[in-house]
Amino acid sequence: MSPSTWYLVGGIVGLTVTVFATRSGFYLLPARLELPHWAERVLRYAPGCALAGVIAPALLNKGGTPSLTWNNHELLAALVAGTVFVKWRNMMGMITIGLLVFTALRWWA
Amino acid sequence: MLRRTARGLLPPLERPAFREGARKMVPLALPIAIWGLVTGAAMVALLSAPMALLMTVLVYAGSAQLATTPMLAAGAPLPVIWATSLVVNLRFVIFSAASRRAFARLPWYQKLLAGYLNGDLGFAIFSQRFAGATEHGNPEQWGFFYGLALGNWASWQVGSVVGILLGNFVPTEWGLGLASYLALLAVLIPMLRTRPAAAGTLVATGVAVTTTHLPLRTGLLLAVVAGVGVALLVEHWAERRAALRPNPTEVAA
Repeated sequence: MSPSTWYLVGGIVGLTVTVFATRSGFYLLPARLELPHWAERVLRYAPGCALAGVIAPALLNKGGTPSLTWNNHELLAALVAGTVFVKWRNMMGMITIGLLVFTALRWWA
Repeated sequence: MLRRTARGLLPPLERPAFREGARKMVPLALPIAIWGLVTGAAMVALLSAPMALLMTVLVYAGSAQLATTPMLAAGAPLPVIWATSLVVNLRFVIFSAASRRAFARLPWYQKLLAGYLNGDLGFAIFSQRFAGATEHGNPEQWGFFYGLALGNWASWQVGSVVGILLGNFVPTEWGLGLASYLALLAVLIPMLRTRPAAAGTLVATGVAVTTTHLPLRTGLLLAVVAGVGVALLVEHWAERRAALRPNPTEVAA
């Protein structure tokens, strides 16, 4: 059964609220309200962990379990692409090279 | 009338600064559009085109869209989906806290719009440009900000709409799904400069890949909790070592 339209629209509107809350939240708070020290420390690390939590399963897992083998083309392509980005700080070049490596691996490996 | 409303949503903008900001976006427009395109294609693989369009126009947050689209398509409970989006968007809370002084004097609806438009790349360029500014929030800064932000928004949306419309015609073997994750990797990598951040992210990665069987993506939340815990521990150890080094007889509190 696919989700109903109302569920999807409600879900998307709620997502919009979460985006406004995180992006505009601090603009709307009174200026004297500062982040407490502990929250500042948590926020220093949480974003990277969250991004890793989204990215890692997509790149490392095959069929639900981690796959650290030469057959994991996504992972190999991401490793090359990541190295390219670290070296040249160029997102476009990174994506292009990543996709080229991925395609090459799919054809020949 | 529409024009008046649009003006009301924006603070006074200095034209040369607006153009300067928009010019900064020119070399980034194509990468952003492609990032939008692959995100749009990834969404329309799981959702209908109208829903994907609604999502890209309203939500305008690539990482949150990628993370929550599979959950929406699977019919997960909405509060869990929203919580996931909040967690994935936590980095924007930092942007928001760091740039709030530039928008402090504006009315609330202008603040709302400015925050909504404050994405990853725009924020980085804006903070770099006005790092040494003594005055916060003037038409020059707002002009530059909106030049960047509107350029970013337009590039992203054009790419997204194209991705949504073409998504179903692009074979999945092309790896467009992979491209959207590579773009996120480009956001993640600069965050790994310190040792606690790198350690925490490594742990989060480990937890995330081993907990995908848990229902409702609770693995993502677990990964963040574990990663942040480890990062704080590593930071704490580093501080203690640093405190002990100059004067070994003084015990760190």
